[in-house]
Amino acid sequence: MSLIELKDVYFSYNDDTKAIDGISFNIEQGSYTTIIGHNGSGKSTLAKLIAGLLPIKSGEILIDGLSVNEENISKIREKLGIVFQNPDNQFIGSTVKDDIAFGLENRLVKSEEMEKIILEYIDKVGLNKFMDYEPQNLSGGQKQRVAIAGILAMRPEIIIFDEATSMLDPKGKKEIKQLMADLAKDDTITIISITHDIEEVLQSDNCVVLNNGKLFMHAKPEEVFSHPEKLRDIDLDIPFIEKVKEEFKHRKIKLKSSDLKGLVKELCQYHSNH
Amino acid sequence: MSISFKSLSHIYNKDMPYAHKALDNINLDIKEGSITAIIGETGSGKSTLVEHLNALLLPDEGSLEILDYNIVANQKQKFLKPLRKDVGLVFQFSEYQLFEETVIKDVIFGPLNFGFSQQEAINKSIEALKLVEIDEKYFNVSPLELSGGQKRRVAIAGILACDPKIIVLDEPTAGLDPAGSKQIIDLFVSLNKTLNKTIIIVSHDNEMVYNYCDDTVVLSHGKVVYHGSTLDLFSDQKLIEEFHLLLPQIVQFKNELTENGFKISKEARTIEDIVGEVIKQVKK
Repeated sequence: MSLIELKDVYFSYNDDTKAIDGISFNIEQGSYTTIIGHNGSGKSTLAKLIAGLLPIKSGEILIDGLSVNEENISKIREKLGIVFQNPDNQFIGSTVKDDIAFGLENRLVKSEEMEKIILEYIDKVGLNKFMDYEPQNLSGGQKQRVAIAGILAMRPEIIIFDEATSMLDPKGKKEIKQLMADLAKDDTITIISITHDIEEVLQSDNCVVLNNGKLFMHAKPEEVFSHPEKLRDIDLDIPFIEKVKEEFKHRKIKLKSSDLKGLVKELCQYHSNH
Repeated sequence: MSISFKSLSHIYNKDMPYAHKALDNINLDIKEGSITAIIGETGSGKSTLVEHLNALLLPDEGSLEILDYNIVANQKQKFLKPLRKDVGLVFQFSEYQLFEETVIKDVIFGPLNFGFSQQEAINKSIEALKLVEIDEKYFNVSPLELSGGQKRRVAIAGILACDPKIIVLDEPTAGLDPAGSKQIIDLFVSLNKTLNKTIIIVSHDNEMVYNYCDDTVVLSHGKVVYHGSTLDLFSDQKLIEEFHLLLPQIVQFKNELTENGFKISKEARTIEDIVGEVIKQVKK
């Protein structure tokens, strides 16, 4: 059984247009799935449906075999956490520590145990030095790390990142992407990341491509990027390395590497063979 | 003609215990007619710098000469309105500032405010919406119904409708999808090339800066630490390390090729340019 199962899911904000138009796919436990698609393709809507923040119109979403609906919502919410786009809109506590404590207090965790949990996750996101800082005095990347620590402290099975890096500066983006890659190594955590960052897709296990509310592709990143023309047709970009390979292909040189170093080596070999 | 910062400093919370010198003795000449990028780490003073360009912030020390205006510290400024018409500032996440019931009403607000007649303002607004490629069918729609990229272009149209000579964009592509970003980039390149507008862009996106901006200003702790050609900056390993710049992938690719014995010219700035040069060398 897959951890998350979507079965012919439909949703519309109003009656005319279907924001999610008959989507089915599964997500395995411990995997890292990126969801891409142009603005308005239904990415964020889909995430909200999985998290039970919007009610599906028809079809079914199962998490751990539980149908995502009003009846099961509190059990579902215990299983998942969401990191939102805007780092400034998700703080409650007056210090980093308090902020992480908030969720634990709601779950009635004993205070001596709480202290231990907080320290564990502050350490995990690398914010030890900032424990007593006010969140507003942190950088964007650090704020997102606080949000992630707060979610990790709840020990969720699933973490949804809803464009969590798009408002960050390049340094912050890099930090958070690295943290996501590290979390992905933990088999007990399933990651779903909605992203515009095509380079992030390369570090995920699977990629879901949406177009106009429909499932366009669901495959491993290399498979997704092996059809650059298909992605361009639906207004999506391809990673830099793929663009380079594409340009060489136009000029009759086929290259295979998936990183720049390898690619340049291939070129050197080509050079000495011709 | 240029935009000249002369020994300009800006201090937040002046005379208070929390006083913070956000800009520290800036001397900088930005060429009119150029596309100039302002880069630097978060908190280096980029937004503070550009907010001086239309006098949203005033200098605490020094002065700024821009177009025919001269803004001097501690002097009463009489020309703020014409200055703000001539220097259009598009804020970060400018789509959050749309407030009118319809797209056209939102765009027309600026030109009406700057004293254009009703008819002129309508004409300017329609022209601006066409420039940003917002289809006529959206003119009477609520801005809230548009996509993120469309909203941002409507916000930019609101500035263009006032017919500014200098356009300042603070993080214009942040948070947009690739197609949305490309539209914004094409827009400012064409405003520069065909209408000869001076474009100043604050950005963290070094890929975009490398590809499209002639000149780059690097700020660090409120000081200008570099101002010059963008290509020179990103081909200087010492500067890159000194300023902790994240290298655009295209530059990483160029460096990797050079290290392996390929000769790539400094001017090659697109994948096509570079691949073209490599092909000539492997097929010799």
